[in-house]
Amino acid sequence: MAKKIKQIAIYGKGGIGKSTTTSNLTAALSRQGYKVMQFGCDPKADSTNTLRDGSYIPTVLDTLREKGSVNAHDVIFEGFNGIYCVEAGGPAPGVGCAGRGIITAVELFKQQKVFDELDIDFVIYDVLGDVVCGGFAMPIREGIAKHVFTVSSGDFMSIYASNNLFKGIKKYSNSGGALLGGIIANSINQGYSREIVDDFAERTKTRIIQYVPRSITVTQSELKGKTTIEAAPDSEQAKVYTQLAERIAAHEESEVPNPLELDELRAWAATWSDRLLQLETGVVVGGAQAGI
Amino acid sequence: MGECLERPRAACSLGGALVTLANLPDVVPIIHTSGGCGGNLSAAIAFGAGYLGDGYCNGRASPTTAVSETEVVFGGTDRLTEQIRATLELMDGKLYVVATGCMTEMIGDDVGGVVGEFRDGGAPILAVSTPSFKGDSYHGYDIVLDGIFNKYLPRAERKNPKLVNLFGLVPGYDPFFRGDLAEVKRLLAGLGLTANTFFTPDQTFANITSAPGAALNIVLSRVWGVETARNFEEKHGTPFWVTDLPIGPEATDAFLKEAAERFGLDAGESIESGNREFYGYFARGADLFCDGDLKRYAVTVTNSTYALPLSRYLSAELGWVVTDSFVTDKLTDAQQEALADGAFPIQFLTGTQEIARALKNNHPDGRGQRYFDDISPLYIAGSTLEKRTAAARGANYLGVSFPLYDRIVTDRGYAGYRGGLHLFEDLIGQIMSVKS
Repeated sequence: MAKKIKQIAIYGKGGIGKSTTTSNLTAALSRQGYKVMQFGCDPKADSTNTLRDGSYIPTVLDTLREKGSVNAHDVIFEGFNGIYCVEAGGPAPGVGCAGRGIITAVELFKQQKVFDELDIDFVIYDVLGDVVCGGFAMPIREGIAKHVFTVSSGDFMSIYASNNLFKGIKKYSNSGGALLGGIIANSINQGYSREIVDDFAERTKTRIIQYVPRSITVTQSELKGKTTIEAAPDSEQAKVYTQLAERIAAHEESEVPNPLELDELRAWAATWSDRLLQLETGVVVGGAQAGI
Repeated sequence: MGECLERPRAACSLGGALVTLANLPDVVPIIHTSGGCGGNLSAAIAFGAGYLGDGYCNGRASPTTAVSETEVVFGGTDRLTEQIRATLELMDGKLYVVATGCMTEMIGDDVGGVVGEFRDGGAPILAVSTPSFKGDSYHGYDIVLDGIFNKYLPRAERKNPKLVNLFGLVPGYDPFFRGDLAEVKRLLAGLGLTANTFFTPDQTFANITSAPGAALNIVLSRVWGVETARNFEEKHGTPFWVTDLPIGPEATDAFLKEAAERFGLDAGESIESGNREFYGYFARGADLFCDGDLKRYAVTVTNSTYALPLSRYLSAELGWVVTDSFVTDKLTDAQQEALADGAFPIQFLTGTQEIARALKNNHPDGRGQRYFDDISPLYIAGSTLEKRTAAARGANYLGVSFPLYDRIVTDRGYAGYRGGLHLFEDLIGQIMSVKS
């Protein structure tokens, strides 16, 4: 009997460090001895760059466009430590339908039963930004990924994107869709940003699976075209990613999230806005500890 | 709960656009959507509208981009460019119209940009946006006409004071559009006016290009073609007159009178000769009509264009009692209000079952009581979908609206004096068809 493949989707607002986190997670899982595939679901097709020394790989959709059909094995490329790298790809900005592209690419892999053949332990989908249409919800629909993690900072727009994702997960939760594993709190250095993410997690009845601090090591590694796990394996930051990988490997039970309605979300954000203002003006003691 | 779509009485706006384009002279459609749309939509009309069929390079012979997954993901403009180039090379037309479907509209193809390049190169081409979510076939008719007349054709240098354009009858969805247009044209010719019908076989592309020079647009529907005429007035300065399609002498007299007034003409002679002709024939049939006691209760099931003219004819010309007029096209509240007449009990329903149920609720069966059947003998003038409803109630039936597939329609029409006679023939002929 084939072993159970753990399929995980990582979502989050664009620019929040999603691909960085995903690639480091993938690299850390691989280091722990798992066979891992990272599946980039973004037309920019740069999710797996740091697993391959900063190089781009031909995408599923480009190959489909050129050849008319795709053998999945032709679009799987080996990266750091034997990680399988795939990029769905998509149309040029402003034309066609990127969402449909994601559906096409993901379905193609599902149909060809590639994961079983390669004896994979983890498939990690790195999905772009907001869940703006059904296409970008594909990895969480119909039993593709089982667990979803969202990368979020303490920034309101990032939390807004996460809340939208929670809505998407809730919508598909009744029809065999993926459930929420938790939040990966990214770029968490200042005290207040951790509090904001913690508060959001509490309100939406989810959990923080790892706090990832902002670190220059990550930037240095990326400039070399590598993950932190590869470029600075003994760094503090690498330990954080390794711990994240351990937690995700051990993670079994995901849940239906409890997203906030738009009004609730705005009201919630407004209370935080007031608190931050008070911290800044010294009305509330604790500015230094709060990291302002 | 969602609405159940049951035996629909219109296709999507692309369907309306295609049947409109298929009946315009020397106009070639280029369908930009998934494979299958063009064929299915054209077949619905070719067989469902009195066997209207197809013509040269249209209907099921329409050029189409037939986009598939690659175009959906990466955009379909390259495919469209290729299809336009091939169509211009292979198909003879004086105007080429790209009509879009849902698929290419959903992905946001820049159709205007592609078509603009061909236009800049001198090709007679325009694009219309006709995805299903823009409305049904009736909207497609207006979108195409608005595109050709108000976006494509330039303003006329001078007006022809005796020229009119006829709008409002949607090819196929008004199954008698050709016969009706021909009769209205004949009536106007009697006043000394020339009419562009655009959709009858006598028309050429010159009728389309002459349209901006018309002195008046006559819209023979209170709903469809009105938007086109309004935009036409804005662009070309041609005023418009919204009136009901005249069926039978009473309505035709009034139509001619008002048409003549608008041009400062006298309708007296036309009205007199029209009545002489109508009653010259009708009087001979009156013996059967009276002696045979062919009075009926009547129910009409038609689109908004035919509902009032038909009900009025049955009531005014035959003396029948119209108990229910069902209007089957999807209308906005404002469009429904435009039909408010007071004389006839109009009900806005589309589903065949809904209509049958409403009829049953409005007029319950006899339940064994001799005098309970309050609308018997009954005549239902509707679409072929009403044939079963009529049979179940023991009513006479005549197919007069879309979908119409139990009769073939060529130049038959019910408008005007001559159409009034045809309608009399067809209605009574159905009653008499039991004879052997």
